[in-house]
Amino acid sequence: MSKQLHAFAIALVALPAFAADEVVALLKQADAFRLPAAAVRVETHVELFRNDVLDKERLYTVYVKPGRRSLVLMKSPSEIGQKVLMLADQFWLLMPESQRPLRITASQKLLGEASTGDIANMTWSEDYDGSIAGETDCPQVPAGLPDMPVAKAHRCLHLDLAAARNGVTYSRVELYLDKASKLPIKADLYVGSGKRAKEAWYAPRVVDGHQRIMTMLLLDDIQPNRRTVVRYRSLVAKEAPDEFFNPAALVRNSLAGW
Amino acid sequence: MTVRLALIATGLVLALPAQAMDLNASIIVAPQVATGNRASPYFVGPPIVSLPDRTSRQDLELRAREGGFNAQGTLRWQVAQDAKPEYHGIANQFYYDGELGEGMGFTAGKKVMSWGVGFGFRPLDLIQRENRRGVNLPALVGQPLLAVEKFNADEAWTLAWVRPGEGGGSDDNRDPALAFHWYRLAGGDDLHAVARLSQRHGIEAGFGATRVVGDEWSFHGAALYERHYRKTINSMTETGGLLATTDPMAEATRQDGLKLVAGAQWTGESGWSVLAEAWYDADAYSRAEWQRLDALTASQRALAGLAPAAAIAGNVGWSSQAYLNTNLLRENLLLRVGHDDRDGFKPYAELLATPRDGGLVLTVGTAYEGNRQRLSGGLRQSGGANDSAYARAPIKRVIWLEWRLALF
Repeated sequence: MSKQLHAFAIALVALPAFAADEVVALLKQADAFRLPAAAVRVETHVELFRNDVLDKERLYTVYVKPGRRSLVLMKSPSEIGQKVLMLADQFWLLMPESQRPLRITASQKLLGEASTGDIANMTWSEDYDGSIAGETDCPQVPAGLPDMPVAKAHRCLHLDLAAARNGVTYSRVELYLDKASKLPIKADLYVGSGKRAKEAWYAPRVVDGHQRIMTMLLLDDIQPNRRTVVRYRSLVAKEAPDEFFNPAALVRNSLAGW
Repeated sequence: MTVRLALIATGLVLALPAQAMDLNASIIVAPQVATGNRASPYFVGPPIVSLPDRTSRQDLELRAREGGFNAQGTLRWQVAQDAKPEYHGIANQFYYDGELGEGMGFTAGKKVMSWGVGFGFRPLDLIQRENRRGVNLPALVGQPLLAVEKFNADEAWTLAWVRPGEGGGSDDNRDPALAFHWYRLAGGDDLHAVARLSQRHGIEAGFGATRVVGDEWSFHGAALYERHYRKTINSMTETGGLLATTDPMAEATRQDGLKLVAGAQWTGESGWSVLAEAWYDADAYSRAEWQRLDALTASQRALAGLAPAAAIAGNVGWSSQAYLNTNLLRENLLLRVGHDDRDGFKPYAELLATPRDGGLVLTVGTAYEGNRQRLSGGLRQSGGANDSAYARAPIKRVIWLEWRLALF
């Protein structure tokens, strides 16, 4: 009896740790649908719709490295030369007019039409932890959205995630993963005040024999007439040198050819 | 020379196949209306001083990047009321960034190299010396330089020889120098140190830092010591005399100057932001220097009817060059409130105060960014205490617009 009680006590203590490990494992599986490798170069095309009419288009090249490092190069004509560097919870913006890396806060990173955080953060496992809130029918894409395939009826795991570190774009994420494949289906993105800012939907496509998230649709809760479609035109494993992720190096054109 | 360089740069840019490089072009139209302050003791009308009320700058800006090669040129058509149109070709930047090994590179050519910390004033900008308080400003023009740079993950340094091979410069923007910048990312803080050696300033050395606290606050500060600093003053304020027959505005050299800036910025998730900044600029006039110039100008004005009007106007016009300084007073406070609606619309209001004399400058403006177009505009009004430098400025109001269209 004493042994049984002891085993029960161990199980009680170990359960939260096990659950946390399980969430980390699930997030890593989900991340794998977004990033094919730990270090990648992503060509991103963003369309901003207002009242279902295309309002703006933006092009970005994003370099992602382990250790929560991202470098975003703006490529569209009206933003050319702008760069955003993200090193964990620290951010810098380079405007081509002044050629001076400007330290910005997490709140400033959220500004602009297409939040840099939405473009540059492509993983959950390094930024969030949380719990499995339950199992549910997978949420269905709102009717009439042209960029999203209609999901088949599946069961989903509902994860309730909280930012594990400072400077994360969204302080809370409710993430829905396909129970069988762990493919990300939908995420509700909450800002620090607790308000839901956006709803993200993920559309997979088979690339090189693997299912990859190649389109992300963002529905804005703060400005409901806006819809943002993020298309990943290419995802290539590429490890840019560490010195390119130095804020002072932003003024150099060193990434040409990378 | 500048026109020739711009044409060469433009020719090279256009000659290279567009698909082989990043090539961008923009059209900029920037009209501006300035209202003179006829109540100012420093206001002098034409023909002594021509301050066109209405001007417009039209630029075709070209940028090209290929490998380490970078070029930026401007073809400008400038029109002003009651003046002939002017045409300029400007080579803003023309440089090559090369590699010297792992984490080490060099730059040769004309480049904008900004090192500063600060919003309204950047003491550490030892190479670029950008006017941070202007409105409707054209693109920066870089400095010719040779630089060696070393980077690793969290540290960098740059050693630059600015205007190599040139003799002593006539002003700070043409001053050959050897300049050094060190940067370190230390525990989340941006740390900067700079040093510069030149004929005009001797040794200059400074330090700056930026710290982000939480998700919404950032704090910054910088200090620069300069062995020699120079300011253009009316020599009659020091040596006496009432009317000069040649321009009495002459550069005076002072020793051991300081430039300081400290500021805080808050940005909320709502898109609102507030910036408060204070700075001290030894290169600017002190309150006492303005009082001496004001007294001289009042004495000159009092000679009306006793001395030729042209001589009085000419002398006042010379003194009005004091308003060409970026900072009119040494001590400055800036408060800026802005909003970003996340849809491209960015209105702001800012108030600059000079507490030593009660001067105020109010600026309100906005910008809207579309797919390829950007429209910005605003109004700046000077005022404050009647005897303050800003209230006595010969221009009291500026209204401007800038329309920018990215062609490709």
